[in-house]
Amino acid sequence: MDLRYTEQDQAFRSEVREWLEENVPRKKLETLDEKKAWHRKLYEAGYLGMGWPSEYGGRDARPMEQAIVGEEMVRARAPAPVNGLGISIVGPTLIHHGTEEQNQRHIQKILTAEEIWCQLYSEPNAGSDLASLQCRADIDGDEFVVNGQKVWTSGAHNSDWGLMLARTDRNAPKHQGISCILVDMSSPGVEVRPLKQLSGSQEFSEVFFSDVRVPADNLIGELNTGWRIAQTTLSYERGGNTLSRYTRMQESFNRLLDVVGIVKRDGAALIDSPHIRWRLGKVYADMEILRYSSLRILSRLERGERPGPEASIAKLHYSELDKAIQEVFLDILGPYGQQIEGIPDHIALEPDTDPFEPGSWAYAFAWSRAGTIYAGSSEIQKNILGERVLGLPKEVRADRVQATAQQASSSGNGDD
Amino acid sequence: MKFDFSEDQVMLRNLIREFLTDQCPGSHVREMIESETGFDREIYRQFVQLGILPFPEQYGGGDLGMVEQAIILEEMGRIPYPGPYFATVMLAGSALQLSNDENAMARFLPDASNGDLIMTLAFTEDDTGWTADAISAEAALNGESVTLNGRKRFVPFADAADIILTVARTPGTSGQDGVSIIAIPADAEGVSTGKEMMFDVTSRTATVEFTNVSVPVENIIGEAGAAWPVLEHVIRRAAVAASAEMLGASRRSMEMANEYAKERKQFGQFIGQFQAVKHMLAEMLEKVENGHAAVYYAAWALDADAPDAALAASVAKSTMNTSSRKVCGDSIQVMGGIGFTWEHDLHFFFKRAKNLEVLYGDVDHHYDQVLNEVLAGRVAGAGD
Repeated sequence: MDLRYTEQDQAFRSEVREWLEENVPRKKLETLDEKKAWHRKLYEAGYLGMGWPSEYGGRDARPMEQAIVGEEMVRARAPAPVNGLGISIVGPTLIHHGTEEQNQRHIQKILTAEEIWCQLYSEPNAGSDLASLQCRADIDGDEFVVNGQKVWTSGAHNSDWGLMLARTDRNAPKHQGISCILVDMSSPGVEVRPLKQLSGSQEFSEVFFSDVRVPADNLIGELNTGWRIAQTTLSYERGGNTLSRYTRMQESFNRLLDVVGIVKRDGAALIDSPHIRWRLGKVYADMEILRYSSLRILSRLERGERPGPEASIAKLHYSELDKAIQEVFLDILGPYGQQIEGIPDHIALEPDTDPFEPGSWAYAFAWSRAGTIYAGSSEIQKNILGERVLGLPKEVRADRVQATAQQASSSGNGDD
Repeated sequence: MKFDFSEDQVMLRNLIREFLTDQCPGSHVREMIESETGFDREIYRQFVQLGILPFPEQYGGGDLGMVEQAIILEEMGRIPYPGPYFATVMLAGSALQLSNDENAMARFLPDASNGDLIMTLAFTEDDTGWTADAISAEAALNGESVTLNGRKRFVPFADAADIILTVARTPGTSGQDGVSIIAIPADAEGVSTGKEMMFDVTSRTATVEFTNVSVPVENIIGEAGAAWPVLEHVIRRAAVAASAEMLGASRRSMEMANEYAKERKQFGQFIGQFQAVKHMLAEMLEKVENGHAAVYYAAWALDADAPDAALAASVAKSTMNTSSRKVCGDSIQVMGGIGFTWEHDLHFFFKRAKNLEVLYGDVDHHYDQVLNEVLAGRVAGAGD
């Protein structure tokens, strides 16, 4: 065991920090063009897609270097890259499963944000049970014809392309009739309707597909192997950058420490209340555990191991912890914690925050409710841990019972 | 950044696991707890002779670090091992080592290293706190001797110990001033022990009364009246060591409950198929893996003398305090009626964890310490 950062890591961190100090935009990014320009700047500095092979514009960076960039971006309050899903999900999926032609066509443009991507997975009736999705892609000559609806699609309104899971064989068992397809969002028949979220902000959409024609060349991997491909992309999502999530929590905690030293309740500074001290101590302890376990994951990634089902522990942990922490923050802050406009500067999480924009205590609280739902809900993570790590038998599920019964009746025997 | 055990550390873990599962099967644990002393002297002797002690090599130790001790203690938690290893090595041994008192180390450690000498630390009093304010036993210096008066409670393996390192203060002092550690032979005149029986039957403790016990001043460990910083460090090491033991008890309980959930059928299916049970086990796994990260981070931080070593120790102990009660307790829930029998070993882990929860700082104590460390800026740097 050696939990020190190497000299190489430390040198890299100072380099990143210096670059961010000089380059983080001083004013808020308003337009899509401004956001794309910032994304491109990050890429040109070598801080996006850094783990990708150099032939695709990456720099084969170590997981630790990626984590350092993630942490330093949080510390510098740098805006997130606008093509986040392109970088975190689509790029790695293409690199692992795409054809050379697909990769040449898209990867560079993902890195430069010339193409903004979204993930067309969830449907109204396929959330946690993603494999029950119904959006169809029927083969017609050398094209797919796509019909159906996707929902909760982050960033769809800005996206040029979407990574879609669609049903390509309606007779196969549900996991075996799904394909992964690249869809040009400007195709005729694609309609994006933005949805307003609980947070008040508008990051995601419903997307409707009516006879959308997609070239058959846009298939990723083999026909009907989309589920397996999606499994790997979901684990990128879960393996994710937990260290930067810790850093974000720590930044908020440190800000809260400033606030509790100043703000009084019932005549005494909040920090003087033993109840509040106890809760602050507990929250910090819980946050530290996330840091330690993030370092443990990073150490495994550094050794070249891919995130496996254990990544579900990290996902479950940080998302549930974020909910718990935000609850404590709001308890301590009283009504200030829920204020979205007009909050005094000495209490605000970040100055100059607009209502329904990131940067207020209330917004962070609202978003903590999303973390245990997206990228596999907490309940799904616990199933994964129970079945794939602890080896517990699968539950009796109505869809499996039905599939077995159908198979039995169609094959004319009840042996199965 | 390497969070994994080295090859040597993996070998150490395998060695300890093999020794303890061979020598301390459940049946023998039950024999030990029924015995007069509560442990098996011969097994204890063989165990410390494995060359696994943190003591300096010149005194017969293996010079091993805190990470190695955490590995050993985690394995002990999986039994749970009944014996005076913690008392002799982690408490009294740490006090001698951290005092840097060469004479005392030369006097006691060689015999402790071959298992001939059993030691313990008498810290807790009627006031069961873990700060200097909890100490009221008095040690009065008079010329070449020191006279001890006071009562200590919950002294681990005091009945079996040959040497009781006793914490007492110079009359008239308060707080962190005037605190000393004094080596008292258990058979000295004026020392009497009273029986205690705890809920955790795999651990023995006793009340020890000191009435005008007089020993030579050479028996003061380190500097007279200046022992508090040493004790603070001893308690910190003990908190991490106890956390490691709780981790072992938790992981072993979870494994037993998990096996049971794969075999036990109700309503025509394995109980592990029910999400109510599956999710409980998944949460236990999360707590155990997070506990692993916390315990070994803290052990490493002590070895590396990291700026956040005290913080990490308090994080580890507060976390294992809350996690082990949940994991060991939920294991009983998964096992149902069988888990509530004396015959099944599960309750030993539950009770060992409960016992360790209140020692070396309870959860409130450590949350308090965490915030104090953070406010004092003693946190990990981001490598900058």
